[in-house]
Amino acid sequence: MNLAYEFDWSVLWRDPYGLMLIKGLGMTIFLGSCAWIIAMVVGILVGTLRITKYRTLRFAGTFYVEFFRNIPLLVQMFFWFYAAPMLFGETLSRQINRLDYLAIYVSILGLGLYTASRIAEHLRAGFASIGQDQYQAVLSTGLSQLQMYRYVIIPYALRLAIPPITAEFLTVFKNTSIVMTIGVAELTFQSYQIDADTFHGLEATTGAMLIYLALGMTIVKFMDVIEKKYKIQGLVGR
Amino acid sequence: MKKVSLWMTVLLVSVFMVSGTTLAGPTMDRIEKNGVIKVGFREGSIPFAFIDAKVGKHVGFSVDMANLLAENLGKRFGKKITIKPFTVTPKTRIPMVVNGTIDAELGSTTYTQKREKVADFSHIFFFSETTFLVAKDANIKTLADLSGKRVGAARATTNLKAVENLAKAGKFKPSAIVVTETHPQGMLSLKSGKIDAYSTDRSLLEGLKMKSPNPENWETVDFAIAYEPYAYIVRSNESDFRDFVNDTILWSIKTGKFFEIYEKWMGPEGLVPLKMSPAYKEYLQMMVYPINDGWWKK
Repeated sequence: MNLAYEFDWSVLWRDPYGLMLIKGLGMTIFLGSCAWIIAMVVGILVGTLRITKYRTLRFAGTFYVEFFRNIPLLVQMFFWFYAAPMLFGETLSRQINRLDYLAIYVSILGLGLYTASRIAEHLRAGFASIGQDQYQAVLSTGLSQLQMYRYVIIPYALRLAIPPITAEFLTVFKNTSIVMTIGVAELTFQSYQIDADTFHGLEATTGAMLIYLALGMTIVKFMDVIEKKYKIQGLVGR
Repeated sequence: MKKVSLWMTVLLVSVFMVSGTTLAGPTMDRIEKNGVIKVGFREGSIPFAFIDAKVGKHVGFSVDMANLLAENLGKRFGKKITIKPFTVTPKTRIPMVVNGTIDAELGSTTYTQKREKVADFSHIFFFSETTFLVAKDANIKTLADLSGKRVGAARATTNLKAVENLAKAGKFKPSAIVVTETHPQGMLSLKSGKIDAYSTDRSLLEGLKMKSPNPENWETVDFAIAYEPYAYIVRSNESDFRDFVNDTILWSIKTGKFFEIYEKWMGPEGLVPLKMSPAYKEYLQMMVYPINDGWWKK
C-alpha cells in the first residue's frame, strides 16, 4: 500500500486560498469579539443574580447557568439555528429564516449566551471569595444594595476572577470553530473548504492550527497586561 | 495491582499499535485473516446508503451490494466474511479509505479525476444528475429562475463545486450559496425557508423528498447542471481487491442480481422510484465481460 503523501504548503498562501484563510481569521475574531461582549454583559448580570438575597432571582440565575453549561454547545447551535425560529409561528419564523446573516447572528448569540453561563460561574466564585465582613462594611457606609454591587463588589470580584476569565476569553475564540456546522465561513470552515478543493487537508488544517495558536498567544499576552494593571494591591501576585 | 493494570494498558496499547502497522498490508489478506471487511456507508444518502431509523442499521442499494461483496469474499476464502459498517460523511469518506480505517466506501460517491489521484475507484455503477430540489409553488423552470435565490449544497460535494462554478461563470446569480454539512441538514434548511433550492444528485433529492412528511410540496427541477457517475472507493495500488469489487459488480449485472437490487430500491415500488434510462441500461449490459460462476476462486 502506498501512503506517500506529497506536501504542498503553497495552499496556505496561493490564490485564492490565502485570502480565504485571512477572511476566515477575520470572521473568527469578529464572532469571538461580539460573543464576548454578550457573554460579559449577560455573565455579570447572571453571576450577580446568583448572590442576591432574593430567592427567585437566585433561582433564575442558577437555572440559566445550569441550562447553558450542561448542554453541548453544538446542540445549542443546532437548536438556535434550526429549531428556535419555528417557535415564532409560521410567518415570523419565515421572516427570521430569510435573514441574510441569520447564521452569523445565531453564532454570536449562541456562543455569547453559552460563555455567559461560564463567566457567571467564575464570577460567583469571585463573589464567594469576598468575605461577608466586606459586604457589611460596604453597607455600613450607607450605600444601597445596588450601589454596593455596582461600585464595590462587582469590580472586586471581576478582578479576582481575571485568571479564569482569561481562560474563557481564549475559549470563546476557539469555540467559534463549532459554528462552521451551521455554515459560517470562519477559520476552520475555510480550512475545510481548502481541503475539499485541493485534497491538501493536512496543510490546510496545520495552517489553521498555527493561526489559532498565534491568536491564542496574542490573547494571553493581552490578558496578562490587563491582569497586571488591575491587580488588587496587597494580594499575593506575580 | 494498580501498577500491573497500568503495565497491561501500556502493553495492550503497544500491541494495538504494532498490529495496526502490520495490519496495513494488502486488503485481501487482512480480510481473509480477520474474516471482516470494513465498509464505510453514508448515513443519509437515500436510497444508496442510509440509516433506517426502524432497524437502526445502514440499508440501501450500495449496502446490498456490500452484502453481495462479502458473500463473494466468503466464497473465495471459504469462510464467513462479516461486514463491519462505519458511518462516513462526504468529507471523511476518502481519507478514511486512504488511511486504512475502512477497506472501501460503498455509497454514492461521484467519480472524478481529482479524487482518482488520491484513491482508486471501482467501475461506474450508476449515473445521476446534479439538479435542484425546490418548492413546487416556487415556479422554477430554468437555471435563470434561480437567480436572486438562495441555493444550498453540502460541503465537499461535486454538487457544491458545480453550483459555485456556474455562479462564477455568471450562468446564474444566486443571492447566496449556503454550505451545509449533510443532506438532511440541507433539506431542513429548504423546509424552513433558509434556502430556496438545495442541490445534489437527482436520486438523492428524490430520496430526501420521499422521506419528508409532505413529498407533494417539493419537486426536482427538469434541468441538470452536471452529470455524476457513481463509483465505489477503494485504496490505490491494490488491484486484486479492486478487481474483486469490480467483478462483483459485473457478475451481479450478468446474473440479474444488480437489477433485482435496483428494483428493490429504485423500482416503481421502491423507496425512490427512478426509472433506468435506456442509455444506463445499455451501459450496464455492454460493460460486462464474459464471467463465469467460480470467478471468485483464487
